[in-house]
Amino acid sequence: MSQSLLINPTALESGIEAAFLARAGISEASRDAFARFAQTGLPNRRVEGWRWSDFSAGGRAPDAANDGVATADHVLFAEADFVRIEIKGGAIETPAEEINGLALSVEPAASLPQAFDSHPLAALNAAFTDHVLVLRVAPGAKLEKPIHIRHAFAGDEPQATRVHIDIGEGATATIIETYQGYGAFYSALGSANIDAKATLTRYVLNDTHSRSIIHGAFQADLHQEAHLGGVSLSTGAALARHETTLDCVRGAASCDIKSAALVDGVRHSDFTSLVRFAGPDCETRQTHKGVARDKGRNVFQGKFLVERPAQKTDAQMRADALLLSDMADANHKPELEIYADDVECAHGSACGALDEDALFYMRQRGLDLGEARALLIAAFVGDVIDDIEDEAVQVAFRQIIDAWLGQS
Amino acid sequence: MLKIENLHASVGDAEILKGLSLDVPAGEVHAVMGPNGSGKSTLSHTLAGRDDYEVTEGSATFDGEDLLELSPDERSAKGLFLSFQHPMEIPGVATLNFIRTALNAQRRARGEEEMSAAEFLKSSRARAKLVGLDETKLKRPFNVGFSGGEKKRMEMLQMAMFEPRLCLMDETDSGLDIDALKMVGDVVNELRGPSRAFLVITHYQRLLNYIKPDRVHVLADGRIVKSGGPELAAELEQSGYDQFIEAA
Repeated sequence: MSQSLLINPTALESGIEAAFLARAGISEASRDAFARFAQTGLPNRRVEGWRWSDFSAGGRAPDAANDGVATADHVLFAEADFVRIEIKGGAIETPAEEINGLALSVEPAASLPQAFDSHPLAALNAAFTDHVLVLRVAPGAKLEKPIHIRHAFAGDEPQATRVHIDIGEGATATIIETYQGYGAFYSALGSANIDAKATLTRYVLNDTHSRSIIHGAFQADLHQEAHLGGVSLSTGAALARHETTLDCVRGAASCDIKSAALVDGVRHSDFTSLVRFAGPDCETRQTHKGVARDKGRNVFQGKFLVERPAQKTDAQMRADALLLSDMADANHKPELEIYADDVECAHGSACGALDEDALFYMRQRGLDLGEARALLIAAFVGDVIDDIEDEAVQVAFRQIIDAWLGQS
Repeated sequence: MLKIENLHASVGDAEILKGLSLDVPAGEVHAVMGPNGSGKSTLSHTLAGRDDYEVTEGSATFDGEDLLELSPDERSAKGLFLSFQHPMEIPGVATLNFIRTALNAQRRARGEEEMSAAEFLKSSRARAKLVGLDETKLKRPFNVGFSGGEKKRMEMLQMAMFEPRLCLMDETDSGLDIDALKMVGDVVNELRGPSRAFLVITHYQRLLNYIKPDRVHVLADGRIVKSGGPELAAELEQSGYDQFIEAA
């Protein structure tokens, strides 16, 4: 057996390397990418921004009671009138029909601007995939149907995907990305260019197997008066991290991003985000809600970086955690870094248990303890879910939440 | 209906109820009056089953059944209703959804049929009118942004909706203006009947101008120290609680 390229690899890293070397017909570019990855390996707790989500160590092994669930067999939105794109085992299936205003293509990854160059998992992603799914929405087009990108995992092989979305000037699109099934290591990198006065609404739903390890990173450039909205919901995994980086590169761009995580067993969810303001008059609202029971762990790291030209930035961040057991964890790190002097920026974070007074009140009215707890938890997460405009998405999100509450 | 004998209850290390005995037959309205710190709220919360009130001695039965063995929701399903002195705000929980869920949970526990959405809506509208609560309030999250008076009206609305057999009213009159006091009186008088009992806990006699009690009890230092007819309330208004505090 050849010598490992990695220095003191962990079990997860060795597994990834073995799977990489076992692949047929590895291109030179992929080998180069893996060699770059091997120099650093998976990010560990000593890397800033990763100390609560140590990918080199992998996730914690679930006990029998919390093992399994959430296979890829149940297709979310099967009944909904969405444009469906399926990514399974690295293969991309796009719909045959023409969609007015939308161009879909699979292109060499090298053709893209390198949005993730400095990301510690970019090289690994490039080692496992050399192509990119590109969605181009024509200027002025208002896509009627939401586009559903379904990431269906397929077992022990590490997999990687790369998606790029281009929303032309004044165009509007809704994209839903779902992560389902069991994936030993799944890397999904997504980038977007949202042109002037264009709107992208992006929903992400992570409902996967307790042994999955998932890393998703999404980066978007927002131009003049561009808007990005959306909601992400995760039930975690052995290790699940969803990163969002939004660059408001021009003025008057706006973002409204919401996320919720519900974790149990030894599941781990990490929502990490950076909103960078480079132009004036931008506005951002960010809300995160994390609920953890058993030994579940929720991580939230959110940062607003306001550069000197970004005067009149109005940015508010709120992240709250609900801990339902003594062993549950929440690690929150809200951050502001501001170089402009005329801005309104704020962040807030709170962590606590369910309100005992409210529980007693509800039980006095006839609800049993489980019902009262479920109603309060649903209310806590409701802030994030209630405003979802697409009915099918709202229903699916509620079903995931109800299923999670039903297991308590 | 409600029979309490030698009830001792503590919160943490502090014993608050120190041998309280009380008998409230069906069809009657009893008032419990007492000064601050005498144990009025402890009595209502202990009867409703709050966890942090520990019963160390004595008994409380509801229609002969041991109340203290039941969980708060079981007590509720048996027909015990507590009107809270400080009703909760519950952000994110829609008012009508909450009341309907609670009402149907009680019905299910009693083996009764659930109330349909249409019937519930009709009933809640009528009750909102009775308690003088604007219907738009019913569309808001539960009690969120309500004034103190509106929260008490919401308590009365629920009492009227649930039609409990035993109503514990914990200082429902506190913070109410005259119109709201009259509303509380109207609700109680409408619900009054041979199979229902009320325990009205209050500092002052004024609520009793609208609700004529059958019996009045004075609670001081965790015990009932005097019982009498409605005239006892007027007497207390004149002479105050000092004599009872000293005696206790």
